[in-house]
Amino acid sequence: MRNMDRRTFLLSTGRWLVLAAVAPTVTGCARALRWSESQGRTEAGSESGGSTPGTTGTAETTTSTTAGTATTADGGSPGPTGTTTSSTPDLAVIRGDFPDKNVRAAVALLGGMERFVKRDARVVVKPNVLTGRPPEYATTTNPLVIGAIVRMCLEAGARQVTVLDYPTSSPRAAFQESGLAQAVEEAGGDLKYLSNRNFEQVEIPEGQSITSWPLVTDVLEADTFINVPIGKTHGMAGLTLAMKNLMGIMGDPRGRIHTDYARKITDVNTRVKPHLVILDAYRILTRNGPTGGNLDDVAMPKTVVAGTSQIAIDAYGTTIMGWQPTDLPSLVEAASRGLGEIDLSRLTITESTA
Amino acid sequence: MKRRGVHRYRRLFQILFLLLFLGLLTLTVWPIGTIILGGFLLADPLLAMNSVANGVIRWELALAIPVLLSPLLIGRAFCGYVCPLGLMVELFGPRRERHPGPRTRKVLRGVPLFGLLASFFLILFGSAAFLVFDPLSIFTRTATTLVYPAVDRGLRLVGDVAYLAPPLRGGVDSATDFLTGRLVFANGLAYKLQLVILVMFVGILAISLIERRLWCRHLCPLGALLGLVGRGAIFGRVVDQDACTSCGACTAACPMDAIRDDGRSTDCSRCEAGLECADVCPQKAIGWGLRPRKQHEYDPSRRAFLKAGGLAFVGGFFLFTGLARVQRDVHLIRPPGARSELDFMSICARCAQCLKVCPTNVIQPAVFDAGLEGFFTPQMDYRRGYCDWNCNECGKVCPTEAIRELSLPEKRLKVIGRAYIDKSTCIPWAEGRDCLVCQELCPAPEKAIVFTQGGGLALDSGRASGEDGAGGTEGAAGTVKLPHVVPERCIGCGICQYNCPVTNEAAIRVRSVEQTGLLSK
Repeated sequence: MRNMDRRTFLLSTGRWLVLAAVAPTVTGCARALRWSESQGRTEAGSESGGSTPGTTGTAETTTSTTAGTATTADGGSPGPTGTTTSSTPDLAVIRGDFPDKNVRAAVALLGGMERFVKRDARVVVKPNVLTGRPPEYATTTNPLVIGAIVRMCLEAGARQVTVLDYPTSSPRAAFQESGLAQAVEEAGGDLKYLSNRNFEQVEIPEGQSITSWPLVTDVLEADTFINVPIGKTHGMAGLTLAMKNLMGIMGDPRGRIHTDYARKITDVNTRVKPHLVILDAYRILTRNGPTGGNLDDVAMPKTVVAGTSQIAIDAYGTTIMGWQPTDLPSLVEAASRGLGEIDLSRLTITESTA
Repeated sequence: MKRRGVHRYRRLFQILFLLLFLGLLTLTVWPIGTIILGGFLLADPLLAMNSVANGVIRWELALAIPVLLSPLLIGRAFCGYVCPLGLMVELFGPRRERHPGPRTRKVLRGVPLFGLLASFFLILFGSAAFLVFDPLSIFTRTATTLVYPAVDRGLRLVGDVAYLAPPLRGGVDSATDFLTGRLVFANGLAYKLQLVILVMFVGILAISLIERRLWCRHLCPLGALLGLVGRGAIFGRVVDQDACTSCGACTAACPMDAIRDDGRSTDCSRCEAGLECADVCPQKAIGWGLRPRKQHEYDPSRRAFLKAGGLAFVGGFFLFTGLARVQRDVHLIRPPGARSELDFMSICARCAQCLKVCPTNVIQPAVFDAGLEGFFTPQMDYRRGYCDWNCNECGKVCPTEAIRELSLPEKRLKVIGRAYIDKSTCIPWAEGRDCLVCQELCPAPEKAIVFTQGGGLALDSGRASGEDGAGGTEGAAGTVKLPHVVPERCIGCGICQYNCPVTNEAAIRVRSVEQTGLLSK
């Protein structure tokens, strides 16, 4: 090799750099092409599905869900999945030794995942991944539960199932230590580490304490949003269940939510309404929540609760945690603003074992 | 002219070593596997000598022995073939040979001796401050604090721009997933002293304006050490004395100014075995062989020796008696596993590998908190980050064991500081409103922050409840949750300080503690 002068060195380096830049651009374009093709396919698919509703075999739910999705597309708040058929309960409560079987049984009672996830739908699943701890510590949503949900969504024909959260510690460490990264990968879902660009400032028309906040775009644009909290105690809030789990889709400065918390979290819940809520109470954290870290603080009700109302789920959830719905200020606030029912006697609840 | 021999590939070697160096440094992120990423630094004889002098002996340091002895056989090939800083000086430094006046030359040629004596005295005084000038340490530090933050910002910017085009979003998201925690970080990397480090690096390149490769020839302490060994060279540049016409072509070609006697003898303390001389020799009289004819132009007189030694001694003495050695700053908190402050100062190589590996960016180069002597030593800055409960990587990458490796269970009990609440700014204490972010995020299994009900201001009762009164009674007297730190449980990880919603200066802050030890379980 001859001794290069600076010019030749820069030239040859430049050549490599250009090559290095061109390669990803080409693949990027290819990806973009695939994306736009699949876009076209979906639109065509949903149109034909709409014109021949009988083909899927679940005509009633199809119609109601389509209406729900249309609302989302208009930019309004994604409401719960339309009107439910009279046979399905408000809450499905399943107890059993296997977290994944419990989830399957619970969703089946609500009419099956097909009720919530249409063909080619883009689904966002939101576990609680506060920080990285192994599942036994009940700090994060059980990986078996998340794995089962991802599989069910894919079986129902979802195009993409994205699992995301905004942990309070390093996201890679949090998802790996909690076993969720592996569970999602095995189930065929996509893990998403959030960055600033995934948040957009959103108006909260019914907000009383906060009227706008940066929220995760994917959640707002999803065809189906599934909230999968785990039951834990919480110093400031008392308990963290479904309503509070939405803090994980809020951008910074999140810490400010803690002041006037009950009203603020209710405000967020007026704007974002998951289509399906699944409370993981296979293990719960009874002390030192929400971070935990002590196996003595973990109890095992081996339960899963599924429903479509955040408020109803939380009302039932408090009883698993040994509280009453009225003990939780945020829940009382939500009920007083008409977001849902916290009187368990007025909810239809189907309990069973798997 | 056809060139023969390994030296033809010198630049290739340099580039490969540079890529290896940067590759290993890029891999220095959570989670570290079992690769010895600090391999380069462990093989650095200067670092190794300092470690051994301080009683830190680990088998990996054996890597430094062949490097230290290599000048006996292959000259300072380390400088010419391996050293990434040397490559930078060669590539980006001005390359024209310049001849400073004889006085300057004399002074410059005295610098290596001074550097070595200074290092020696600093070792005696228990200070590793001279390692600030170790070339590998400089390179790692510069890359860590300047290159990776730039890469982080750059990739983020590219991602942000690409995100404007909806079709590219999927690709950007999957790229982000791959890069997060590796090249792109949740907060965006940022380091203190970036400008100082930049000026130092550019300065090293720029002084080549005074004399070609001045840094490598005269200033680099590692080069000086290798040069000292090189004086006893067994193999080296040999000249066929009969064929040599003393034409001077080799002298002009030598980038290290190592040729004496019009080409007939060699200063083996400089020769880096690049053999540019052999390539330009019209007589083909130059090769590499046994018993080179040596000449050392700079053989210090006793006077010069004493002068250099005296200066170094005084410098070392001042560091030894400095205030920073006596009084410790309350904000000077070292990463978990760090040795006691005195030992730390005498061992830390200022190489910034711990800064590189830290996933939260909490480890920052110290500015003045550790005194001038402690410039660039690692310090926790809890407004930049916090010590992650699941991470113990800084101890794994430290090449000198200034930060010892702790197992995760050990690290989680390691007290590096303690949190104190400033009740005059803490929201519940000062404003009578709920907050408790610190308590929520405290990762200790038995939380080190607890709360009592109380506080609140009677005249402000119901302040937060809004127009329709639907907010309950938050803020009423006696209903506010007030945080307290339980000293026996706090390890000083600082996640409370990092997340405290009080603007600018947190209302809960970690201060250094007298003794850092393990919490009793």
